[in-house]
Amino acid sequence: MSIVKSAINWARIKSPWLLHFNTGACNACDIEIIAALTPRYDLERFGVQLKGTPRHADILVCSGPVTRQIESRLVCIYEQMPAPKFVIAVGTCSCSGGVFKGCYNVKSGIDQAIPVSAYIPGCPASPKAIIDGVVKLLSSLKEK
Amino acid sequence: MHDSHKFKIPIGPQHPALKEPESFSVALKGEKIMGVDIRLGYNHRGIEKACEERTFLQDVYLVERVCGICSHSHSTCFVQAVEEIAGLEIPARAKYLRTLIAELERVHSHLLWLGVAGHEIGFDTLLMYTWRDREIVMDILAQFTGNRVNYGLNTIGGVRRDIDASQVKDALKAVDTLEERTKYYIEIATSEVTIIKRLSGVGVLSYEDAIRLDAVGPTARASGVKRDVRKNDPYAAYADVSFDIITDDHSDVYGRTVVRLKELLESFKIIRQVLHNLPAGPIVIKAPRKIPAGEAISRYEAPRGEDVHFVKSNGGEKPERAKIRAPTLANVQAVKHMLKDRFLADMPIVIAAIDPCFSCTDRAIEISRPGEKRKEVITWPALHDYSIGWHREHGIDFSALNKKLKKGFKTS
Amino acid sequence: MSQEEIIVNNLKEKFPNIADSIKIQRPRRIFLEVNQAEFREVFDYCVKKIGFPHLCTITGLDKIEKFELIYHLAQDNGNILNIRTSVPKEKPVLKTIINYYAGAEIYERELMDLFGMKVEGLPEGNRYPLPDDWPKDQFPLRKDWDPKSLEK
Repeated sequence: MSIVKSAINWARIKSPWLLHFNTGACNACDIEIIAALTPRYDLERFGVQLKGTPRHADILVCSGPVTRQIESRLVCIYEQMPAPKFVIAVGTCSCSGGVFKGCYNVKSGIDQAIPVSAYIPGCPASPKAIIDGVVKLLSSLKEK
Repeated sequence: MHDSHKFKIPIGPQHPALKEPESFSVALKGEKIMGVDIRLGYNHRGIEKACEERTFLQDVYLVERVCGICSHSHSTCFVQAVEEIAGLEIPARAKYLRTLIAELERVHSHLLWLGVAGHEIGFDTLLMYTWRDREIVMDILAQFTGNRVNYGLNTIGGVRRDIDASQVKDALKAVDTLEERTKYYIEIATSEVTIIKRLSGVGVLSYEDAIRLDAVGPTARASGVKRDVRKNDPYAAYADVSFDIITDDHSDVYGRTVVRLKELLESFKIIRQVLHNLPAGPIVIKAPRKIPAGEAISRYEAPRGEDVHFVKSNGGEKPERAKIRAPTLANVQAVKHMLKDRFLADMPIVIAAIDPCFSCTDRAIEISRPGEKRKEVITWPALHDYSIGWHREHGIDFSALNKKLKKGFKTS
Repeated sequence: MSQEEIIVNNLKEKFPNIADSIKIQRPRRIFLEVNQAEFREVFDYCVKKIGFPHLCTITGLDKIEKFELIYHLAQDNGNILNIRTSVPKEKPVLKTIINYYAGAEIYERELMDLFGMKVEGLPEGNRYPLPDDWPKDQFPLRKDWDPKSLEK
């Protein structure tokens, strides 16, 4: 890997910027994602920051099974993110559709719309599981 | 036309291929809202149809996931309807346990709301405090049921898990701590001038309008409407416990804040009574797999307001029909009214004050102006920043209060 | 006499031809059935003369040859009156009740989107809950609707 690339990679691992997007979820995972940022769990000590726009995000953190209404927006957001980019599917719905698998109006999982880098199951995924998943993803980046 | 204002409404990232319709369409004149159109359905997952394709028991766990904050509300409301159709009289202990989890859910939800409201007005330290305290409730819920959310407590005929003496002790201790913290929040809310200024006169809904627009939950109660399903149409163990319906006559967002805070104290009252008077006995009775033909309408006072479930069985293993009306839907008309002729900068907190589903506030807002064909699209975070900046310009700034509270903050 | 019995006797007296359908299912739950032709009169009387300040929701049901509707009206003492009526499948048209309850709008839009009923008298507005690009003539809550007919 070139020096520039590994520098960017290292900067990313040091403090990746996350964009949180709900694709039609019940909100349980969304709340656990935010709870992961509160002092008790403190995801921020790993240097991650929540950002508001796709253009600055390294990691897209998704909840929800992807409803029909939201699919094109999800794809659009993913396309707006600069490379290298990663997607984390938080919660069983994002991983596979969860209890909503097979429901009309639901795509049954984030990877039905965009590529996923890490899956964090749970209904909802607990803040500890979310942190574990994010750290695992960051460590795997290091290895590249 | 207003143009001297420093804070121009920021236009969010627009993408030509953006097909998603905006969640809110605001007709704006200067800085004031002439009217709002709200578009819902983002998390329409086809749950009612799915209910018809699954058994009654599977549906108990499906409807739990209608909303990730009021999961026990939906599951209980649904199972109550099924039990009524089947003519099942569930054991008293089960009713008490359902009530216990119901009130713990209310506590976690109201604390969550307080944090969100704090965030929307720029009082982010409040989010840190309240979500820290909320973790105390989450721990107790996880201890009782095995999960922080989606408790899986209900089954047709009662509940699936019991609690023991040591869990009762832990819960009582937790309630003591939470009550102390809640009293502190009440003190802040009722004495800090910045909060009172920021929330008063915002999102006004008169008593008459609350009735006319048929508002529910804390939104209605903050306008003096004495509606609370726990008292009006009792279910579970609510007829056995003593508590008050909390109303307020501020009729604005400040009132909604006070109502939720005081409801926390009522919840602690109820939780203590339930824990001290838990009836002995079984926690479940056997339910048939096929539910006899019949129908029932069940109501439940969720943290956000009245939840309604109508269930119809035609004698089979699966419902013929399951209709769910979540509380936020009932407050849509009230919100549209509250935003009319108000500042755009008040929109975030007014919407937050009815305690809507989070996903509502993830969406884009479309702004149109009289005489202009082109519409602007802004993101919720951009609106949030605009709102805080606008209020800062008008003399309401939470930086000092944030600093003050940060000093006293200790991680649990 | 209980509150429910007072309401029921009142209705039986005023509308003798639907008297047989009026039932108290359990405390605070009254059900009655009325045909579409007489619905308006009965509904108006219930809301305005007896008084039901709150509309819980409107439930639609697909009964194959017809659509059934149940209007769930509540009083502050917890009584719920469930008024059942129906419209034929071939012409599923009903009038709005938003002049009685402002909140009815969203429940009526749901009937249109999910069953394909037509509610007359509603102002212009967004559909609910289906997206704009939902295919025409596909009504998910109809019993004969197959999700496979949706191109995924």
